[in-house]
Amino acid sequence: MKNSSMLAALATMLWSSAAIADSGDTLKTVLERGALNCTGHNGSYLGMTEIDDQGNWSGFDIDLCRALSAGLFGTSEGHLEIVPLSWAQRWPSLQSGDVDVIIKTTGVTLSRDTEVGLAFTRPYMLNSVNYMTHTKLGVEKPSDLDGGTICLQAGTTFERYFAAHSESNDYSLKVVPFERTEEMKAAFEAGRCDAIMDWDLQLAVFKETEAANPDDFMIVPGTIAAEPVGIATRQGDANWSDINNWMLSFLIMAEEENITRENVDEVRANPPSASVAKLLGTTPGIGEVFGLSDDWVYNMIKEQGNYSEIWDRNIGAGSIYKLERGVNALVRDGGVHFSLILD
Amino acid sequence: MANEKSSPLPNQHPALGARLVQRFFRTPLDSVISTVTLTVLAYLAYHVLDWAVFNAIWTTPDGTSEVCRGVDGACWAVIQQRWRLILFGLFPYQEQWRSSLACVLLVVIVVMSCLPTFWTALRLTLIWVIGFIGFFLLMRGGIFGMSVIAPSEWGGLTLTAFFFVTCVLIGMPLAIALALLRRSPLPVVSGGAAIVIDCVRSLPLVTILFTAALILPFVLPGWLLGDKIWRVILGFALFYAVYQAEIIRGGIQSLPGGQDEAAKALGLSYFHRVTRIILPQAFRNALPPTINQLVITFKETSLIVIIGFFDVLASGSAAFGTGEWSFAYTEVYIFVALIYFVFVFSLSRYGAYLERRMRVGTN
Repeated sequence: MKNSSMLAALATMLWSSAAIADSGDTLKTVLERGALNCTGHNGSYLGMTEIDDQGNWSGFDIDLCRALSAGLFGTSEGHLEIVPLSWAQRWPSLQSGDVDVIIKTTGVTLSRDTEVGLAFTRPYMLNSVNYMTHTKLGVEKPSDLDGGTICLQAGTTFERYFAAHSESNDYSLKVVPFERTEEMKAAFEAGRCDAIMDWDLQLAVFKETEAANPDDFMIVPGTIAAEPVGIATRQGDANWSDINNWMLSFLIMAEEENITRENVDEVRANPPSASVAKLLGTTPGIGEVFGLSDDWVYNMIKEQGNYSEIWDRNIGAGSIYKLERGVNALVRDGGVHFSLILD
Repeated sequence: MANEKSSPLPNQHPALGARLVQRFFRTPLDSVISTVTLTVLAYLAYHVLDWAVFNAIWTTPDGTSEVCRGVDGACWAVIQQRWRLILFGLFPYQEQWRSSLACVLLVVIVVMSCLPTFWTALRLTLIWVIGFIGFFLLMRGGIFGMSVIAPSEWGGLTLTAFFFVTCVLIGMPLAIALALLRRSPLPVVSGGAAIVIDCVRSLPLVTILFTAALILPFVLPGWLLGDKIWRVILGFALFYAVYQAEIIRGGIQSLPGGQDEAAKALGLSYFHRVTRIILPQAFRNALPPTINQLVITFKETSLIVIIGFFDVLASGSAAFGTGEWSFAYTEVYIFVALIYFVFVFSLSRYGAYLERRMRVGTN
């Protein structure tokens, strides 16, 4: 939707000139309010932001919101407000204070980090972006699609990936933009375009559960881009950015240390190392530096579990998607995720 | 007509079969065309029914989509499993009786105020004041032990109905005012109204909604902001009002000038001229485009999804937005389309009834 992205740009201009009242101390604002305002979606985004049969939010991003809220308040129950937002609405809503943090499968880009005025955490997920095409076309690599048509979601980073990749690899496709993912998929399935571009998760779901005949479609080998996905906060609130950044690090550290929802009490009582003792608040120090209590990481893990538990529950083996960790595994398992050093 | 009915010709009502033959198979060409058309229609109908009824899966025993895997027909089980999400959006599950009651209440007051029995200022005001108080008590809660539910959690059909009704309720008086101002003999007043109408009309609705929801918080002081939903409703109502104002102005201008002059000659005040002479006739003339505009507005309420409201269409897309049901978007969209159809078709039929009642459109 071109209008909304232009308006988002206009809003950006407005707030860069206007003084933003509450970019000062988000933590204080949130604690005083008694609830964290976190991003939802205006509809749902498979595996990341969904709504269950009873109208409750679920998904990977939602569980990160819950973890953050549990860290701040001890429990997310009653202390979390999920605000449904469209993609284009993310930035102005954060800047106007409608939400405190954007956890909405948001790719980290230079312009978002600088011009839009966001501060990003380390990436919590790396998404491989691929083409999917009709098997009958016999495509083996992206450049084989040359001269065809591609259906794309408008206003997303996919447009940019497509432009960059096609230019540097010297092929061209006619772009048919869509606002809604399902429209795009329907057009693709009906043969209106030769290819679509999406994250491997979304493509795999489409192929396995939505397509009438999964063999009709194939994911084109060759990653177009690996999109790093991070949490965005308002620029100029270092402590709040730190909290979000270290939350991710601690969730990953809990996985490295094999601390889970089940055994967290046990580990807390008998910490195997000084850093784990500090992590779970057995020895003091982890809360004070952020202005939080010392058991904030413990509360987070007690409620939501470590990184791998959140993964499994929402998009991994425990979910309908059964997505492998792949590149999102820990470094020790051949992936990219690692914790920062807790000293 | 009356004559014909009182003395029917003997062959006017032949057997059904004979009548069909006479109409559709009179000449060989007729027969060919009829046969081809019938075949095509039957073919289409068979395929639609085959998908929607004969091969369809209606229920799921375990709440998953397993029963629909590898089935050719429609998977209506998604509706069975997710209908509450579609109708109520994010409204808390345990409290959804409140949302449904509020929606029924809203529909009832709309239907009541459509009946001529209630067309007095007192009765209409009474219905709407009581209705709206009831609606807010149910939806917002906070008394009688009902939990407070913020407007951000309202959703589904109730939100769509509330949004539409409130917009029209605010927009219609605004439209009348704008139309009258634009006809003012003072150039400043009429020019001002014209500029407002033309400016708002020149903006896309999406822009207005986006501005109301997201840009106003940067511009207005906090105490003036109010809840997001009210800002958006006001923006939407303004957009509706400028279109409706032009429709009413068209209705006014179609009246012969003698109407107003005669009323003046009788010594009626401006207020009486407008409310008793001009507006009733203007509305009668403007009825078809008014109904048209109402239908358009009802359907445009689905645009509020882009600023994060879960109207019935957005709730629908959330309903199939899970790995379990993501293949069943056609079924959900059909279900939502049926909901829209029921509302819009009723509105259209009511418009037709009004036209008959006022005898417009025929002369």
